[in-house]
Amino acid sequence: MSGPTDTLEESASHLHVTAKSSAAYETGPMKVVGKSALRLDALGKATGATKYGQDLFDKKFLFAKVLRAAYPHAEILGIDTRKAKKLPGVVAVLTHKDIPGTNLHGLIRRDQEVLCSKKVRYMGDAVAVVVAKTEEIAVAALKQIQVDYRPLPSVLTMEDALKVDAPKIHAEGNVLGEKHLRRGDAPRAMREAEVVVEDTIQTQTVDHAFLDLEAGRARYDGKMLTIEVSGQWLHEERRLIALALGLPLEKLRIIQPATGGAFGGREDISIQIYLGAAALKLKGKMICLRYSRSESTIVRHKRHPIRVHYKLGAKKDGTLVAAQITFYVDKGAYASTGIAVMRKASSHATGPYKVPNVWVDVLGVFTNNNPCGAMRGFGAAQTAIAYEGLMDRLATKLGMDKAELRRKNLVKSGDEVTTGQVVPYATATECFDAVLKKIDWKNRSYETPAPHLKRGYGISIVCFGLGYGDGFPDASRARCRLTADGILEVYSAACDVGQGLINMIAQIAAEEVGVPLEKVRPILSDTALTPESGSSSATRQTYFTGSAVHIAASELKKQLQDIAASHLEELVYEIKIADGAAFNIHRPERRMTLKEIARVGKKRGFSLEAMGVYKPPTMPENTQTGQSMRAFVTYLFGSHVCQLLVDTETGEVKIERYIACHDVGKAINPDQVIGQIQGGVAQGIGMALMEEVVMKDGRIMNPGFTDYILPTIRDVPEIECIVMENPDPGGPFGARGVGEPPLIGTGPAILSAIYDAIGTPIRELPATPERIWRALLNR
Amino acid sequence: MKKPVKAKSTSNSLWPLRFKLNGKKISTKVPPTRTLLDFLRLELGLTGTKGACLEGECGSCYVLVDGKPMNSCLMLVPQVQDCKVTTIEGLAHNKKLDVIQQKFIDCGAVQCGYCTPGLILAAKALLAENPHPTHEEFLTGMEGNICRCTGYNKILRACEQAADEMGLKKP
Amino acid sequence: MFYQPKDIQKALELKAELKERGAFLAGGTDLVVLMNHGKAAPENFIDLTHIPELRAIRRHNGTLELAGNVTYAQTGKLPIRCLARASLSVGGPGIRELGTIAGNLATASPAGDGSTALLALDAEVELTSVRGTRRLPLEKFFLGYRKTALAADEMITKVFIPTNYQTDWAKNGKRGAMNISIVAAAVAITPKKEIRIALASVAATPIRCYQAEKFLARNGLGAASIREAAETVRREIKPITDHRASADYKVHLSGVMVRRVLESLVKA
Repeated sequence: MSGPTDTLEESASHLHVTAKSSAAYETGPMKVVGKSALRLDALGKATGATKYGQDLFDKKFLFAKVLRAAYPHAEILGIDTRKAKKLPGVVAVLTHKDIPGTNLHGLIRRDQEVLCSKKVRYMGDAVAVVVAKTEEIAVAALKQIQVDYRPLPSVLTMEDALKVDAPKIHAEGNVLGEKHLRRGDAPRAMREAEVVVEDTIQTQTVDHAFLDLEAGRARYDGKMLTIEVSGQWLHEERRLIALALGLPLEKLRIIQPATGGAFGGREDISIQIYLGAAALKLKGKMICLRYSRSESTIVRHKRHPIRVHYKLGAKKDGTLVAAQITFYVDKGAYASTGIAVMRKASSHATGPYKVPNVWVDVLGVFTNNNPCGAMRGFGAAQTAIAYEGLMDRLATKLGMDKAELRRKNLVKSGDEVTTGQVVPYATATECFDAVLKKIDWKNRSYETPAPHLKRGYGISIVCFGLGYGDGFPDASRARCRLTADGILEVYSAACDVGQGLINMIAQIAAEEVGVPLEKVRPILSDTALTPESGSSSATRQTYFTGSAVHIAASELKKQLQDIAASHLEELVYEIKIADGAAFNIHRPERRMTLKEIARVGKKRGFSLEAMGVYKPPTMPENTQTGQSMRAFVTYLFGSHVCQLLVDTETGEVKIERYIACHDVGKAINPDQVIGQIQGGVAQGIGMALMEEVVMKDGRIMNPGFTDYILPTIRDVPEIECIVMENPDPGGPFGARGVGEPPLIGTGPAILSAIYDAIGTPIRELPATPERIWRALLNR
Repeated sequence: MKKPVKAKSTSNSLWPLRFKLNGKKISTKVPPTRTLLDFLRLELGLTGTKGACLEGECGSCYVLVDGKPMNSCLMLVPQVQDCKVTTIEGLAHNKKLDVIQQKFIDCGAVQCGYCTPGLILAAKALLAENPHPTHEEFLTGMEGNICRCTGYNKILRACEQAADEMGLKKP
Repeated sequence: MFYQPKDIQKALELKAELKERGAFLAGGTDLVVLMNHGKAAPENFIDLTHIPELRAIRRHNGTLELAGNVTYAQTGKLPIRCLARASLSVGGPGIRELGTIAGNLATASPAGDGSTALLALDAEVELTSVRGTRRLPLEKFFLGYRKTALAADEMITKVFIPTNYQTDWAKNGKRGAMNISIVAAAVAITPKKEIRIALASVAATPIRCYQAEKFLARNGLGAASIREAAETVRREIKPITDHRASADYKVHLSGVMVRRVLESLVKA
């Protein structure tokens, strides 16, 4: 096993035993996996040739625009589209009456109308769709639609939503649901604890702010409705769209254009059904639709703002004994994936720390704010900010070094995490040691260039379960095929949203079959061509789809070995495939190229194709106790350390150094892994220091990039990455994943550093200069 | 690239546009209130230039106008009259990539790729004016571009390597 | 209609004819943003970007004459520190190549970086119409929130600034670049050792801190005097709480920024 190391090449070369390697004799350094191969889609992106959703438009198409709610909470008494329909150039105006199937969508509960019929619940709710010859005409026509509203009192805070006489946002009331976790006897252990700390943290509404605005096109030719819009889970989107449109699945084809970022923001249905309904109504016509930035911000679901009451009890020597946590989750107007976020928050409530008694209660409350849903971290990001914050408070109260306090309580191999699941191989301590070593923790200096500048060092450790978990069906499928030209095609519906999935799939397939990367052609995200592979979320694609590809490639290789062995009249166990040819390992002159194998195989009736399905099960968390023997398929560990300066006169923060270590099992493409770590940290910096969706009376005050503050190049320092590789037998070549943990570890590390610098905690995110200044003032 | 559509001269409010785009002369009539961004993308089919914020806050719409970077989402088409405009599509010559493009690819500075054209043009303009930027000057040259995916580290490295390589070529 | 006059005279004639129905278009960094959001739709445009005269920078008897359409990219290179730094703090390279000082002055945003630096420089603006030319000190140009002394037929043709002031600038924002200021401070010392202090984002327009200036004139630029002047700044301004920052934070910051800029000027 490789340990903490700075050199990726060293790390990669240590590992040469693969988990699902089919050939008994196969060992030795890998040729494609573990290499920082150039991104297969980088050329198109660097030359401007790559087509994202909006790039598929043509002036000849019809343009659609959506009318949004005028109030955050109102009844619809009537919708009059007559004037709009009469505007020259307007081809159609759709309302709820024009949704052919069930006018509903939603990922867990279908509670969101496609086009509102009776009620609007937030200002991004859709009421009508105009289709016109140009976008300008469509925009003008929107203004001609008359909607008669009866405004209802808005419910803007959770407190208001929970009042006895609160207006009901949904018929069944304002509570989405609850989650509970009962492990041991936390109240008693807390009473008996020698030291107790307690605090309340409030996280903010965060927007995904991916650059590639929602846009796409659709056309119905009478037989097939084809929708080209970027999502994250093509087949699930297809199911939801089909239900809404009353279409049989086989008449619906979803194709993913190139996608400019998602981060969970494309998980919910966005524009697909509007386009589909318009296309069905206007048979033969290509309809296109795009959001402006403000529309995108106003409409899209957000990261849940969560208020966490956290109570932590310990012995005098720092051993944690009890945790009692309550999460209040502002769900916004619709359910979306809220229940799953609540569950992830609860199941990660003590993060990487061993706490024998943990009681968690989560309440999800509807308001007339933006519906909240998936965003990178998915509840675990907010939780981490709370638990790391409390660990710092505990360290202060105990007079203990905060690194030592953490080290003492870290989960180790064989320990149970919050859900009671045993983690067979935990590398929390190793990751932690790696970053502390790199920053030279023991010798850290607090000397600064000026007295008003205070230095702080913050640390965080991540323990994150990947995949959906909780017994939710989680599966990926892939197909490998050898063409007549000797090209290895890999089919998967998995969406590359920018994270580099395309290389992950191609490199795994190339390595397993034994062909150079140039001979692999990934074919992705088209429901007509590719098998379902689950969502690009939950940090699952490498583990699940990578495995499915590995299995498919492995099965195909068996077939190819069989063909070669029988054609060459050699023993199949002596046939190796490498560099695109099959040969006898003892007598390599006995060989066949893949092209020849394809020719011979086809003649002899072999399929030259193989399927891989990977669906390792998890077990549902007990509804009362939140415990499960297998809540997640596997866990990811990581650790961050942040060194920063606080200007105590202005509250401004300057990050001087940032070090992140993540155990990814196996870096299929090390450069891409580093890219994901750095990108995740950058988003974490945004969440910690500057990003905040500001809502007033149910209206987003900062829907544009002028006032929704995203990190620029000046805000993100060099992010020193340590990639650790401790293989997981369930992942392809031992790989686990990397997407979310880097973000999860960042906010806590930065806040920990600020606390170290100024001696007082920031309890409300983001930690803007003003908030820091005010904390100093009130100290 | 699509051939520019010659608009019908039904009204005298169409602007007779005349400019050089990626080395080619363009002459056509356009509605004058169209932004340069929309014109490039929808009229000419040059979709490499992107729109993401439409407020001048992200740089994904950067084009070079007479060598200077400008936010095309904030320009009305007639404003490039008689100017030389370069978009990302105009950077590669005879299928040979510009050094900056190559370095972005080589350094892993491309993830989702949406910010990439704007960044490459920002780097192009910066290095044309200042072939040996200091770290601070690099930041000044790239601070108008938002990237949501990469954390900028690899982007900076790509630009530094491009500068180094371009510097080597000088006699 | 879209007009692209090739000289100032033609532009003025058009503006005289169209008045409020004709919008000047320079960088578009204010106007086109509004258009993109559907908040503006001028009937007519008078595009000033093809009038070379309006990009000129000339030196004349120790005064720098900046023509109206001089861009932030151009002013960012000038050897006048507060203006150069203010210019480089605006947006990113693209915005700086588009945005003009006349545009910034005419928009009269309270957060205008160029405007604030120019205010500390005792800048004068030349306003021209078909009726003639007049010159105004910048202090008299800003009348209120986004309101200026520009008549309906006038254009800002020149801005005059001295070259012999010692100046500096500092700005606060929510991140490292592309900030609309929470507070920004421009400070100048004239050859006669008079002080000019201008602040952005603490009032309806960029403002001068006259009381603090008077205090410094009486008490000099020693360390204690500077600290007291910063307190005077805090007492004399009355910013509002808005979505960017609270009033008390702006008050506090203003004192800090002014003190720091004065200290850096004195050190230089």
